[in-house]
Amino acid sequence: MRKFTLSCLAIGISLIFGALILWLMGKNPGEAYMSILQGAGLMEKARYSGRQSMFTDFMSLVDAMTPMIFASLAVALALKGGFFNIGVSGQMLFAGFCAHMAAQFLPSRIVVVIVGFVAGAVVGALIGWLKSRFNVNEVVSSIMLNSILMYVITFYIYTFYINPVSRNSVSVPAAARLTLSGFRWEGMKVDIALAFPAAVITAVLLHWFINKTTYGYEIKAVGLSPRAAHYAGMNVGRTAVITMTLSGALAGLAGVAYYCGYLAAIQPGVTPSMGFDAIAVSLLGGNNPLGCVLASFLITVISKGSVYMSSRQNIELEIASLITALILTFAACSAVLDRRRGK
Amino acid sequence: MPDTIIIDGLSFSLPLFVMAVGGIFSEKSGITNLALEGFQGFGAFTGAFAAVYLYGVFGADSVIPYWASFVFAVIGGGVFALLHALLCVRFKADQVISGVVMNILAMALTSFLTKRINASIFGNSGNKFMLSASSRITIPGLSELPVVGAVFRDIYPFELVIVAVALVMWLVLYRTVYGMRLRACGDNPQSADAAGINVYAVRTVAVFVSGCLSGLAGMSFAYSVSAQFSPDIYLGYGYLSIAALIFGNWSILPALFACLVFGFARSTGAAVIHGLGLPSSYNDLVRTLPYVLTLLLLVFFGRRNRSPRALGQIYDKGMR
Amino acid sequence: MAEPIVEFRHITKKFPGIVANDDVSFTVNKGEIFAVLGENGAGKSTLVSALFGMYEPDGGEILVRGKPERITSPRYAGTLGIGMVHQHFRLVSNYTVAENIVLGLEPVRKVCGIPFVDMKKANRDVAALSERYGLKVSPTDVTGDLSVAAMQRVEILKMLYREAEILIFDEPTAVLTPQEIDAFLQTVKTLRDSGKTIILITHKLREIKAVADRCAIMARGKLVSILDVKTASTDEMARLMVGHDISFTTEKAPAKFGEVVLDVDGLTVKNVAGYDAVKGVSFQVHAGEVFAVAGVSGNGQNELADSIAGLAKVSGGTVTLSGHDITNATVREHITAGVAYIPEDRHNVGLVLDFTLRGNFPLRLYDSPKYSRGSIINYREYNEQSARLQEEYDIRSSQGGETIVREMSGGNQQKAIIAREIDMKTPLIIFMQPTRGLDAGAVMNVRKYIIAERDRGAAVLLISLDLDEILDCADTIGVIYSGKMSKIAPASELTAEVIGEYMMGVGKTA
Repeated sequence: MRKFTLSCLAIGISLIFGALILWLMGKNPGEAYMSILQGAGLMEKARYSGRQSMFTDFMSLVDAMTPMIFASLAVALALKGGFFNIGVSGQMLFAGFCAHMAAQFLPSRIVVVIVGFVAGAVVGALIGWLKSRFNVNEVVSSIMLNSILMYVITFYIYTFYINPVSRNSVSVPAAARLTLSGFRWEGMKVDIALAFPAAVITAVLLHWFINKTTYGYEIKAVGLSPRAAHYAGMNVGRTAVITMTLSGALAGLAGVAYYCGYLAAIQPGVTPSMGFDAIAVSLLGGNNPLGCVLASFLITVISKGSVYMSSRQNIELEIASLITALILTFAACSAVLDRRRGK
Repeated sequence: MPDTIIIDGLSFSLPLFVMAVGGIFSEKSGITNLALEGFQGFGAFTGAFAAVYLYGVFGADSVIPYWASFVFAVIGGGVFALLHALLCVRFKADQVISGVVMNILAMALTSFLTKRINASIFGNSGNKFMLSASSRITIPGLSELPVVGAVFRDIYPFELVIVAVALVMWLVLYRTVYGMRLRACGDNPQSADAAGINVYAVRTVAVFVSGCLSGLAGMSFAYSVSAQFSPDIYLGYGYLSIAALIFGNWSILPALFACLVFGFARSTGAAVIHGLGLPSSYNDLVRTLPYVLTLLLLVFFGRRNRSPRALGQIYDKGMR
Repeated sequence: MAEPIVEFRHITKKFPGIVANDDVSFTVNKGEIFAVLGENGAGKSTLVSALFGMYEPDGGEILVRGKPERITSPRYAGTLGIGMVHQHFRLVSNYTVAENIVLGLEPVRKVCGIPFVDMKKANRDVAALSERYGLKVSPTDVTGDLSVAAMQRVEILKMLYREAEILIFDEPTAVLTPQEIDAFLQTVKTLRDSGKTIILITHKLREIKAVADRCAIMARGKLVSILDVKTASTDEMARLMVGHDISFTTEKAPAKFGEVVLDVDGLTVKNVAGYDAVKGVSFQVHAGEVFAVAGVSGNGQNELADSIAGLAKVSGGTVTLSGHDITNATVREHITAGVAYIPEDRHNVGLVLDFTLRGNFPLRLYDSPKYSRGSIINYREYNEQSARLQEEYDIRSSQGGETIVREMSGGNQQKAIIAREIDMKTPLIIFMQPTRGLDAGAVMNVRKYIIAERDRGAAVLLISLDLDEILDCADTIGVIYSGKMSKIAPASELTAEVIGEYMMGVGKTA
């Protein structure tokens, strides 16, 4: 509850900051924020183009938020186990890439999900193993792996898997895509994120796993106090590897939902910024799986809604990421307040 | 062909190196610095803005905007870094989280401001600041030497600045009173405090310095890689310099060696790939090399590789 | 003719639940070696820390050179010419000896206005200082590679470089070998002869007898006596230190020994640094017996307890529990076999501080069928246990079982650990320093639990630095000194004085 209050505080302060910036730019903050809600499909726009409605906007929001939920869950689980998974970005990319490759041979949604899950888990396990076996700091190894994976995949895409028109990778076959893009329903074109229910269920399951099972108990004990965990008879090294494997698997699901769902193709040359945003989203969600769903929702509302705001109010699109970044900055500070009170 | 390897290798290694030196300052004082990426980007932004603004005053051919851009990049990087110091030193935030947030913030803030400034001051809707091409210097005499002559040919002016700055920074870190106190703060802040040193102040200054040097590096990349400032500046060079400083075991000279290896691997790879007539995408494979090397180093020589003892630990005077 | 340099006047310092210093007054004269003697927890470190500015006393005042001073920080103490060598050294490990000594007060050579450290001068100064006081160090050696004794010399030189006049040593010989101790004592004499005033905190009588001029004896926060060392006998000092009045007496029926439960044979354990901390220790504990291990801190007690509980690796010998060899079994196997353990470090080992109280109770048995069914936590059992133990052991907290343990008082944290371990109802239970930092009432309770465990028929291994506690609870006493059991005898055959001698390594070997 305390964490919830602090997160709300961070959001509140950031929105006031954002309003101030908008006001300095000579815009009406109220109108601007309203158009964010309109863009996110939470409020009725004045008019819609053909086959569009508030419902289609909302469904796009859901589509965009699905990978973010998985990614923030990956961060949250790792943090519970005392790991700072800064490698979610690389794990997403690797999982998305492997899923794309698999879909070339077996264009099926189940294959894509399984391959992504396993690919992410493998990278996560590697990081956990390097930590427990060689004592390589997970932050450092994650940064190295992010770059290595990004360059290798970029090379492969440019060399063998490029769509010459879009300069992105080839698109995943429709039969393997987790988002039904432009699905016709009641005269509208709707994007349906098939993975969204799975994301929410995963969050609920993870919440249950962390709080109601002995595995969750072990992960938390090892994360909070490795020496006490050893005293309790836990295998600290093994638990650490399991934690990172699961975290990587969740990041893998995020990667699949992103590259084979929300997007259909992989952009070469970059790691997905979502992997880093997810760290802060998890922080904002108090590292609680259900909090992560809420925080993902909020952050996605801002990023999706601001596209409409920017065109409607003639404001730079980048204001969205700026407001997001401000929320994250304040969230980082609020975590401090929380820890101080805890002492 | 060896010429381009040397020239390109140096022009890439040196900015990387000066940023790593900044990282060493910060980490030797005990503050984990994942924010170098953000610092260099923000520095490049302020520098490029200053340059573009001054083009209007002095003309694009004047040397004043060129040098002013570096001054402003250093200031901009440093000031932005103070935010990281504020979070880590005063607010006692987790240093890794703060670093990640700084990078996100720098990226968001500079992209927003670039567009905003272009729209309101320069009257265009671009998301970049175009810079005029940097001049190159060739040192007469030395550049005539066989093979190594290339070291003195087609030098970007900033390379000379970086060499000078790095030398000064080496002296500061290892020879001055401040440097000695800084390194003590990163190893054992309690003993530094007991010896009458203000740990908070030393660390704040160290992070500021890392911002300044990263700003210098960012501006150099802006000129050498792309001759512009755009969100493309966030290509992960900050993380590469972190790899270099870890590879160099948090010491300046070994870090220089690491940067040279990274830079020459890159330029040699590019030359070989070009020579073999392979598509340029093969460069991406070469670029994994620094990271693979660093990771292997940590796995096999992790025990020899020692980070500053108090790195990442929040120092609270009240706690004993 | 004695010129007072430091005066403590009615110093009182309270910590939650404990009075560390209770109206302590005495005077230290210039140019003497003044020892402060007392058992662990007698309040001597607290008193002297106040002089060094680490704590401010709640009552009373400190006079330095006749002037009342409010010493608010070590830095200020430094300006008064007060230096201190702590038990845990404060050195920058990757610096050279000279760098460590001059840090904060570096010799400066300005070049273009930039203050460069004049290391040549620093090395020269340190070499000269080292020569002058006979403290052998090489200025250019890296500090982290030095022996403990050499590090101590660096700490001393650090004080001398700052021209400290009043030198405080907190348990300086606890970590030294006998030969190093002799050298250290010689150094202390040299320092006194060159005009320094030395305050020596220790519980080793032999050392006091060897060097000190006068000595203050403290017990339970109070000043017991001030003696002239030359005229006082070691016996008298020991008696005063341990105290006649054993205020805690626990009702105790005669012990009824059963079968041998714990059989330790030739146990050897290495410490973190890789040296043998426990050297070939053998003893047995029967059902219904309290076997107490007495000894001064740092003589291998931690390693002994950890290895019997399965937390530390055994490098030689065997540990047998009720006939089963449990040497180097996992912690989980120890728990299953029936070893309960109250560890010394309750914050980092005994509890997960950021868990709730309810979550800490099943810490050692969370995986057993009672607390989980097929990996799913049985919260009904958690709640039941939590309510029961809070009630039975009177564990107080702000929000009951939902309280985060970090926010509880130390006494209640300790009660929670003891409750949890006793609730396991094991054949063997190890108490390591169970009453450290607890107030008098809590101490009494813990001792009752120890006796109750014995009367239940458990074998009890009690390891404590507190001699009262040992005399009060033990049926059999083993004294550990330098990793070896120097004496094992029934409690009825030993007196505090005899135990004290073995604890300090001066007893006749049995």
